[in-house]
Amino acid sequence: MRRRRFLAATGAALSLSTAGCLGLFETETATTRAPPLVEDRPDAVYVPSHIEGMEMAGTATSGRYTFALSYSFPHRFWLITGDRTRQVEIQDGQTVHLMLTAWDAETDTVIPSSSANVTLTKDGETVVSNKKLWSMLSQNMGVHFGDNVALDGDGTYEAEVSFGPVETRLAGALAGSLADRATPTFTMEFTQAQLDEVSYERLSDRQGERDAESPMGMMNEMMPSGQLPPAAQLPGTVRGEARSDDATGDGHFVVTTLAPPAGVDGEGTYLAVSARTPYNRYPLPFMSLAATLSRGGETVYSGDLTDTLHPELGYHYGAVVDAVESGDTLELAVEAPPQIARHEGYETAFVGMGPVSLTL
Amino acid sequence: MNPSRDGGISRRAFVKAAVAIGGTAALSACMGREQPTLPTGPDDPASLPDRQHAWNDSLRTDDHGNDVPPRHHVFAQFDYEGTPTPSAREAVESALRSVERAYPHSHEGLLLTVGYSPAYFDRFDADLPDSVDLLAPQALAPFEDPALDTADVGVHIASDYGSVVLGVEEALRGERDELNGVSVSAFPDSLSHTERRTGFIGEGLPAENQDVGGIPDSEPVPEDAPLYMGFESGFAKSQASEDSVTITDGPFAGGTTQQVSKIRLNLQQWYEQDDRFHRVATMFCPAHAEEGTVEGTGENLGDSNQMEAHGCPAHASDDADSGVVGHAQKSARAREDGEPLILRRDFDSTDDDQATVHFLSLQEQISDFVTTRSMMNGTDLAEEGAVGQRTNNGILQYMTVVRRGNYFVPPRAHRALPEPDPT
Repeated sequence: MRRRRFLAATGAALSLSTAGCLGLFETETATTRAPPLVEDRPDAVYVPSHIEGMEMAGTATSGRYTFALSYSFPHRFWLITGDRTRQVEIQDGQTVHLMLTAWDAETDTVIPSSSANVTLTKDGETVVSNKKLWSMLSQNMGVHFGDNVALDGDGTYEAEVSFGPVETRLAGALAGSLADRATPTFTMEFTQAQLDEVSYERLSDRQGERDAESPMGMMNEMMPSGQLPPAAQLPGTVRGEARSDDATGDGHFVVTTLAPPAGVDGEGTYLAVSARTPYNRYPLPFMSLAATLSRGGETVYSGDLTDTLHPELGYHYGAVVDAVESGDTLELAVEAPPQIARHEGYETAFVGMGPVSLTL
Repeated sequence: MNPSRDGGISRRAFVKAAVAIGGTAALSACMGREQPTLPTGPDDPASLPDRQHAWNDSLRTDDHGNDVPPRHHVFAQFDYEGTPTPSAREAVESALRSVERAYPHSHEGLLLTVGYSPAYFDRFDADLPDSVDLLAPQALAPFEDPALDTADVGVHIASDYGSVVLGVEEALRGERDELNGVSVSAFPDSLSHTERRTGFIGEGLPAENQDVGGIPDSEPVPEDAPLYMGFESGFAKSQASEDSVTITDGPFAGGTTQQVSKIRLNLQQWYEQDDRFHRVATMFCPAHAEEGTVEGTGENLGDSNQMEAHGCPAHASDDADSGVVGHAQKSARAREDGEPLILRRDFDSTDDDQATVHFLSLQEQISDFVTTRSMMNGTDLAEEGAVGQRTNNGILQYMTVVRRGNYFVPPRAHRALPEPDPT
């Protein structure tokens, strides 16, 4: 803007003036649908104040990657640094919550962790430049990359995405895959009228209850939901489960053992810990999780578990140990809670996560 | 949008805009605003330092002993057609000497370097000596894909006066025949101008020039910040010395290498979603955030970002396990005998109307930059810790490298279209 003003000024023989600029800075107010936060939120997963639908802008495929770009109303969410959460408010001018969901086309494994960089242009003008979407967790929209953005009114937008490579260890049928960057592009037709058609429901009767909204229908029709298998359907020998309590910050842990899958080095038994949300079974990425395995009072393994993506296990934490026997004790210590941004209803859960002990 | 303080736009914003736009009209407008009163340069430019990059003795130092970079910058790129001829070489040297005669070698006057890319040296049959480590530019993180510079020549021009920077650029391009009362000459026609990058660094300039893409309309950049991200940089103890970035052996002893990355910034999240704890933790170190070490822009830190004092490099891995790791903390892991490997001479920019950093660094070998950048990526920390590839991993969340170029900056004696094997 100053550049334009400068040009105008030099053109007018240096008769500098601020006139003519003010109209350039009008911004539209976002359509905000943000009821008050639930009072006395539990330190656990809870039913949020409201729930929103979403509009699919398009899908794209690049090698084994498949992507869906979608949007909803801009809404508040929470970021986390270590064990400090902070509420992100909707900013003036923000028009949509933009979401990118990524999955492996061959196995339908949803990818929760990577770099997702988005640039939006309209009529050749950059509207959003190189924004890195946050990894996010939403009760009805699952695991995705998202942020609130300010569009420039109705029209056709080109979205250029730079995604990947996936930094998480890849195992099983995913070993050796997803090692490249992908650069899908989308053409997104946006109208405010269409956004206003997106569903929006207050949950006044249920808000604050310890429960969660289910994944929306679109999640399973147009893209994989990212839900992990129920404990009984995990591969290997399911050895134990630590269910929700205050000490675990409402996280669920399921422990299974199997032969080390492709992509995981070492000989012995692969100890896999599936950390998940209650109710919807979404993965809990970006944790630091350490395990101590004891037998008869003696430590037989102690070390960090590595975040790993596997088609049947989904996103989980694992390590190769010599052996696991019935009656072993497994202590799980959460050194960092999941460093993933959260939509409403998840922000108070999975923050203060105490140690968990299981008898296998 | 601030209405201007004096009824027009402020002088420094105006000058920045003039440097960004360039050209004769911008120069005359800029001169009118700045009206610098400067002595001319030395009659015999051969008295200037043998090292082109020997700027520090000509810079202002602040109260803490930090070198203060010149406020205005242009990095102008040129292509050379064919194989350099003696007459072209002579014309280049004459042009450089002429502009050096016009202004003193100082932050208020003119500081410049001329560098040559791998593309330039490709035209010769002979190779550069082993003492010059000039790697081709490349992507330096799995998640980046910069376009790679193909220009042959890069000229870095710096001064506290935008009109000096512009005037020198115009002179080298043949648009001026006089500067500061001194007759000047141009580069030969065989050197064609291809691209210019412009920018600024110093208190007030980023705040005055925050009306660009990548910075939210709330005008969040602090008035006293020298850079868009709101913090000081270039602490004396985080900078390599000119001596240590200088090539010491071979025919090009006295030269150095230069790396220039064009980095787009998107600071909407930084300023509107992150809090101060997060900004200090990710820019500096989680310990700094916990202990409240950084006040305001960090001027209170003095001549050191205090990484060692807080043990930051050593506990980078533990911090990553706890969920956040700092940019300076990661970078401080790249040291040799306790000294940083690179000398930063970066500056911010409004090029293409987007908030941008031209990250220009000097190092003895390009591989020193590669090492530093590798530490800064923290890919090792992302693989084992709770930090993401970008998220909570220093300041990678907010930046995108869109171009990169590597140059060799020869010693002054060889600065005009050098051959790779001078005798």
